[in-house]
Amino acid sequence: MIRIKSPLLRWLLIGLAISFSVGLLGLSLWLVRLDQDVRARYAGVRWVLPAQVYASPLELYPGARITVTELRRELERLGYRASDELTGPGTFALAGSELRIDTRAFAFWDGVQPEMRLAIKSDASGLSAIRAMGSDAAIDLLRLDPMLIGSIYPSHSGEDRVLVKLSEVPPLLPATLIRVEDRAFADHFGISPKGILRAAVSNLFSGRGRKQGGSTLTQQLIKNLFLSNEQSYGRKINEALMAILLERHVSKDDILEAYLNEVWLGQDGSRAIHGFGLASQFYFNKPLNELRPAEIALLVGIAKGPTVYNPRKSPERVKNRRDLVLQLMEDGGLIRDDEREAEALMPLGVLNSVTGGVERYPAFIDLVRRQIKGLYREEDLGSEGLRIFTTLDPRAQERLEARIIADLPDLEKNRQLKPGSLQAAGVVTSVEGGEVLAMVGDRNVRYPGFNRALDSRRPIGSLAKPFVYLAALADPSRYNLYSSIADEPIDLKMPNGSHWAPKNYDHKLHGNVPLHVALAKSYNLPTVRIGLDIGVDRVHDLIEAAGLQGPPRLPSMFLGAIDASPLDVAQIYSTLAASGYLTPLLAIREVMTKEGQPLSRYSFQLKQTLPEGPVYLTTWAMQKVIEFGTGRWAVSVLPAGQKFAGKTGTTDDARDSWFAGFGSDRVAVVWVGRDDNKPVGLDGAAGALRIWGRLMRDLDARGIDLTPPAGVEEAQIDPVSGLLADAGCAAQVTVPFLSGALPKDYAPCANAGQSSPLEWLKDIFR
Amino acid sequence: MTPFSNLAAAGKRCLPCLPVALLITLLLAACVAQPTVPTRSEPSQQTQPPALPPTTAPAPATTLPPLQPAPPPSHPLPSAESFPKTLAAAGAGPAVLALAKRAQTFRSADRHQDALGQYQRALRIEPKNAFVWQAIAETHLALHNVEQAESAARKSNSLARGNPWLELGNWRVIAAALGVYGNSPAAQAARTRADEISTVLAASGANVSGGAAAALPASSSAVP
Repeated sequence: MIRIKSPLLRWLLIGLAISFSVGLLGLSLWLVRLDQDVRARYAGVRWVLPAQVYASPLELYPGARITVTELRRELERLGYRASDELTGPGTFALAGSELRIDTRAFAFWDGVQPEMRLAIKSDASGLSAIRAMGSDAAIDLLRLDPMLIGSIYPSHSGEDRVLVKLSEVPPLLPATLIRVEDRAFADHFGISPKGILRAAVSNLFSGRGRKQGGSTLTQQLIKNLFLSNEQSYGRKINEALMAILLERHVSKDDILEAYLNEVWLGQDGSRAIHGFGLASQFYFNKPLNELRPAEIALLVGIAKGPTVYNPRKSPERVKNRRDLVLQLMEDGGLIRDDEREAEALMPLGVLNSVTGGVERYPAFIDLVRRQIKGLYREEDLGSEGLRIFTTLDPRAQERLEARIIADLPDLEKNRQLKPGSLQAAGVVTSVEGGEVLAMVGDRNVRYPGFNRALDSRRPIGSLAKPFVYLAALADPSRYNLYSSIADEPIDLKMPNGSHWAPKNYDHKLHGNVPLHVALAKSYNLPTVRIGLDIGVDRVHDLIEAAGLQGPPRLPSMFLGAIDASPLDVAQIYSTLAASGYLTPLLAIREVMTKEGQPLSRYSFQLKQTLPEGPVYLTTWAMQKVIEFGTGRWAVSVLPAGQKFAGKTGTTDDARDSWFAGFGSDRVAVVWVGRDDNKPVGLDGAAGALRIWGRLMRDLDARGIDLTPPAGVEEAQIDPVSGLLADAGCAAQVTVPFLSGALPKDYAPCANAGQSSPLEWLKDIFR
Repeated sequence: MTPFSNLAAAGKRCLPCLPVALLITLLLAACVAQPTVPTRSEPSQQTQPPALPPTTAPAPATTLPPLQPAPPPSHPLPSAESFPKTLAAAGAGPAVLALAKRAQTFRSADRHQDALGQYQRALRIEPKNAFVWQAIAETHLALHNVEQAESAARKSNSLARGNPWLELGNWRVIAAALGVYGNSPAAQAARTRADEISTVLAASGANVSGGAAAALPASSSAVP
């Protein structure tokens, strides 16, 4: 035993021993706490899983009205790759007249549709035959996987991700990640002394500038999950200790899977792209398991720092990085030499535009957010990974966008308006089922700002008129489509003493006009005359019954002093289009859990709120708007031989230009105006109608079914008198009337029946 | 639409055919012998509304609220058998038939919500198919969504274009849906309407026990 003579030294040593013991005790206690902490925090890791929003899937069936070109376009939109032959899910090939598709499996709400290899034939009218390849079995119906159009992520963190399982990712991905980031991952215990040493030596010789990190994947995960970005020794030590502790509790595979889902791989405005699942969609618009080695190399490469390695901003730098990763793949025996060479020749393949983000269809996603708000808690939407299936039809959406992008500059040019001064919004819905198929809320269709389709409530002008005429036509004892209405000045004394003296748009008077002509030509004075006769309340009630609450109970309502958004207008016109059945417009069809379990389905709700016969007569008059009225320009673009119904809308001094109308399957509403509410010099016909007409053509909308419903009968009418015509009349038109309300008298031109064979026959059986 | 109006419509488009049409109508009327219902003359030419039994004023299916007595007994049908009884006979495409088949499987398994989803897919393909609307009505009834059942059945009637088989099934759904609230006059009227169509169909020699007409709510069906 060594004797220490100096008492000072002895006390020093005792002190040292005590403080070492205390320190050791403290360290042990701290480690125990840290261990508990790591375990608790890791167990509590709940991935922020934003709700994923999908468009409606394209249904393919013999007879579907879609051309091969459109189908190819759809496949490309979904990220399917064209090749000479099918090479796995997500590929397609043109073989002579046949289009071959290897579809992706997808879990729909009503079951999983497996991967299918199809051969599709088409003819002039659409798809003609679908069969499974390698068999003669005809396929009646299938769905393509729906397009991911956005996610509802929490606004505070902006974290967005698509969760993946390690067992489902291509094995090349984790293997490459380990090769590049942490070669000793399988063997170390959380930290890698060799790695730290190598990094230290390397950093010593490289001097300032690019430093190598010695962090293992485990350390990186700890840092990403629990620690701040601060660079300090304290944090480094903490990170290392926590990494060692985590490895004691969690398997290597779990750590790897967590890393794959956690790592930050890019930024899209305020949205942070986390995990490889979402990054694959974000950069390549396809699922992870369809990535080729070069694409995997790119994603692994940019994990080093997505700001520096941004493939959209610095493609050269990213290509170098990717090729380096490819080289590491080859060195590690993950790919062959010739594979590396071939892959290195591939372009980056990164999409220019962001496809998966809310930035793509901001107006529609906005609608989905609002409709879902009342159904789920905000925190669940941002974190539970719900899968929301919507009604958006990407084909209709693309056409609506294309029209607004192309036509607004034309309108400005034709009217010598300042380029960029006009704004526009549009909505397309289905007639039956009330589904919102497309929505644009800004002429810059990707701009996620003010959504005019929902929030721009402007006076609807003459769009209100059909409801005045509907109120009249529902009273067959007083009105029919040929009732003569006086187009004469009106001067109304209002309760507050002021006078209201509306004028026609053309400031002319047209004498007595048939009721349907007054609507077709959008004359104001006959409309007010009818409205006053029928009563403000009746018209008010019909507009409410059609689905717009709270129009003011004032005579100015007849001429559209009603503020409404384009979506509101789509609602009330949908009720007309659906023969008087109101279906509240829906943007959501189904919601599923992240595991693919159906949670809720939203069936449309249907209620007859307007009388069918009068709606049919009103629609008949609205067809005249397009045949010879204010909407006749549309005849030049709509398919010949098909009838569409619609109405122009113009407000005072032409501040708002509206057109709303429908065929048998589509309702479309277009608004054009200025945000500062200044006159635009465009009436409904010169502005919105141009977009609407071409839009309906592009949508391949079908014309109205002209068969009268129950309670409506047609009669031959003399167009001059509006009375019954017979062989004696040179001109005759077929006009619908409510049953039992046909004109009783014959027109002056008619032979008045005495000698007609009909009368003779009637007499016999009387 | 009354079964008659097809004939009337034909007459309007083809004046020379009119006497022939009228004669056929009369003959048919005589066969079925319904003296209380006068034969209507050409509707577009008549100068006053046809005389109808006072208790059964015409009430179009479209008036709101749809709770009044149903229209009067139907006139004899020109040929009930000429109307399709099933979705397949109505010329639905293979896609809609496939969906209807899947829906039927769900219905048999009491999975009506899932069946409804299939019918709604079918509706996106053929939105004006009155048979699909009827199936939706029946499925809503099975789910006790009586208001939706009634609305969808009325919608089906709107699109039925005088098909008595469809109308029969729809009125039965409406009667059952309204009957949930007790034996109201509206429910009674709907039932009467169904019975009348059934009687007329039987009288015209049609086999009422088959096809859609046999359908009592939810169990039966217009789809294969």
